[in-house]
Amino acid sequence: MEHPYLFLTSVFGLFGLEEWAAHHPHVTYMWLAMVILIFFGWLAGKSVSLVPETAQNVFEVLISGMEEFVVSITGEEGRKSYPLLISLFLFILVGNLMGLVPSLYPPTASVNTNLALALIAVGWSHVVGIWSHGFKYIKHFLGPVPLMIPLFLPIELIAHTARVMSLTFRLFGNMMGHELVVLILLMLGGMFLAPLPVMAMGVFVALVQAFVFFLLSTMYIAGAIEEAH
Amino acid sequence: MKKETGKNLRELGYFASLGISVALSIFIGLGVGLWLDKKFDTNPVLMFVGLGLGIVAGFSNIIRAGKKGKNY
Repeated sequence: MEHPYLFLTSVFGLFGLEEWAAHHPHVTYMWLAMVILIFFGWLAGKSVSLVPETAQNVFEVLISGMEEFVVSITGEEGRKSYPLLISLFLFILVGNLMGLVPSLYPPTASVNTNLALALIAVGWSHVVGIWSHGFKYIKHFLGPVPLMIPLFLPIELIAHTARVMSLTFRLFGNMMGHELVVLILLMLGGMFLAPLPVMAMGVFVALVQAFVFFLLSTMYIAGAIEEAH
Repeated sequence: MKKETGKNLRELGYFASLGISVALSIFIGLGVGLWLDKKFDTNPVLMFVGLGLGIVAGFSNIIRAGKKGKNY
């Protein structure tokens, strides 16, 4: 289903790129999410002081609270992966919440964005595994007995591909579904504010899905750090 | 955040993602089998091999979760 009106597409139309922008709204709106995040990061880091004020206060509570949470799951070694995890969380949260603003398109409602994010998260968990175990990390994939390697290797590979897929499709399905319901209700009963209850629930869905993606990536990293079974 | 809440959330995330990973494992196994069949022209032997591996991979997830759940 096509969006009736997208703000950034008409902005890009000023530069003669309207056709490209109309076909790739997830790319342009991902840039918008990046701009929003960089702006807020700059705002918070502009005047860092020992006694925090407004913007720094909010970010300190959010970021240090999440850091303790991540470390309680992964152990002390997971602190190195924390910047990636919180970036994923904030990006997905901003992307999801953009779906609630008229004329904005949530970049997470496209399967391309989500696959990229999931590949980064799962790929990084393997990097962390090799980092903390060295070459022995491959034992995670080989099962207990050397004789069973031809059986266990494909099984583990399938299980790890399923992780990427499940991260991708969970986020994609939720955001795409929310977007579609809002659009259909807007067409059917927009005059009577029919999409309003769904949009109110959308705030909750956006938060929960961002948190689930963050939590599952944290757990994959924790699983990679753990000893081989 | 309290330590107990964090642990509970972690377990919730793990067990909630169990169902979708079983379903996806089976489909990934089937898809890889079909793709290899097309590549090597061995219809339908590798499809069944891939499907079997996918089912085993899916169920090994359940068994692993069951072992994990024994601690409660």
